[in-house]
Amino acid sequence: MELTQVRYFVALSRSLNFTRAAEACNVTQPALTRAIQRLEEELGGPLLYRERSTTQLTELGRTMLPHLDAMLMAADSAAALADARRRQPVASLKIGLAPGIGCAAIAFAVREVAAILPDLMIRLDEAAAAMLIESMLADMLDCALLPQDCDLPDRFNHWPLYDDRAVAVLPACHALADRTTITADDLRGETLLHGERCGGFACLFDATWQGQARLRRCDGAIGHLLDLVDAGLGLALLSERIVLPARLVALPIIEPTLTRRVRLVAIAGRPQGAAVSGFVKLCRARRGPDGP
Amino acid sequence: MSLQDKLDAERTLRLVNEALRAAYEETITTLGRNGLMPGVLVEEAPFPDFILPNIEGKLVSLSALLARGPVIVQFFRGEWCPYCRLMLDALVAALPEIEAQGASLVALTPDTGPPARDAKVNHSATFEVLSDIDCGVGLAAGVVFRLPPLYRARMQAVGTDVPSRHGNDSWFLPIPATFVLDRDGRVAWRFADVDFTRRAAPERILAALRQLAAPD
Repeated sequence: MELTQVRYFVALSRSLNFTRAAEACNVTQPALTRAIQRLEEELGGPLLYRERSTTQLTELGRTMLPHLDAMLMAADSAAALADARRRQPVASLKIGLAPGIGCAAIAFAVREVAAILPDLMIRLDEAAAAMLIESMLADMLDCALLPQDCDLPDRFNHWPLYDDRAVAVLPACHALADRTTITADDLRGETLLHGERCGGFACLFDATWQGQARLRRCDGAIGHLLDLVDAGLGLALLSERIVLPARLVALPIIEPTLTRRVRLVAIAGRPQGAAVSGFVKLCRARRGPDGP
Repeated sequence: MSLQDKLDAERTLRLVNEALRAAYEETITTLGRNGLMPGVLVEEAPFPDFILPNIEGKLVSLSALLARGPVIVQFFRGEWCPYCRLMLDALVAALPEIEAQGASLVALTPDTGPPARDAKVNHSATFEVLSDIDCGVGLAAGVVFRLPPLYRARMQAVGTDVPSRHGNDSWFLPIPATFVLDRDGRVAWRFADVDFTRRAAPERILAALRQLAAPD
């Protein structure tokens, strides 16, 4: 496949008009037609029906369009990032974070993009998954980190990034603080503080070990919740990636292991600037169960 | 034993399997007749500048590498491919001589995450392994094709989860082409073959580098 063939096909699929597509690509119509024919030969069938007054995508054309569009965007963004490294334009990166996910796992990718684009403006928004999806649709956010279990409209691409594991967070003076790991037995009779920004681990625990621990609802910022943990109101089950103050202790929970898969989500086919495409590529390249 | 001798031996061994032989023949026949080769970047062509992520989470810039000397851009299919594994071993062995010529080597795969990391770790490679996400740079170099149905079915049957490895279900792969770029980023020498069991001989790569170093 050649870059120009794919570019012409994607342009033609938008306008469904050979004359307009040729103008948009700045080529003659015969050149565009030849390129499309060669792409059709390579992909093993017609991508378009050509009738007298209408042009429509065939089933093969409709199937191949998102794949070819994604590949074209990847080609353009690899070049655009190289160009941005020379020109250093002002750029922005707006990332949504579902509650309790935190940005520790993706901080490396933000740093790499900022190293190429020194004038990068960064915005991190923590909100409920449904709100982040709305913000992406309204073009207020470029992409988001969401848990696996939330529903996505068809227009979204998503890539699993890592498995987030819960740790038990407790004050250094707590009776369990000298343990190296925590089990469900250890949590018997304890109070678990949980809120909208805790990642749902306490509820996940309660679903299998109902009644083992007492759940106390406590909404608000994670920093405030940690102050309450420190004051002895109860323990919290949070992502192992959340950075804690030194006076608190985090212990891995080994029985049951509480995990949730975190994925990177972005709208399919939406043109992305160099900063966003660089960020998404970095995250996808470093995916894995243990994460970046 | 040369790299190509090893590749030939591997092919003879593997193609005893009839399903694999059919998939192999379908792939090279399809690519041979469908006009892929004329689109591959040729000698003298400027290689498109790019930035891609490496497996360690850094962005790697072609022009930054070219500022230090010639660059070898090697496309490969992935660590799942036995011919790629033999080639990566051969490139690891050739790397000291490549670096002695003042050149660097980058190996581009559509794989992402752990499988891409395996391609570096399993061969103790010290060259850059880059994830060519969605085959973008491969497209710009003209080396990408869509895997024909028999080969796709064969990979699914043996459990090679290409959609998970690539992070898309497009089934695009690069032919394992090699480009030696001069310091201006132009293709000084290239190897490209629709038969994925044929690879650039390391000695040919080194000869191309020596040619670049030779006074006009």
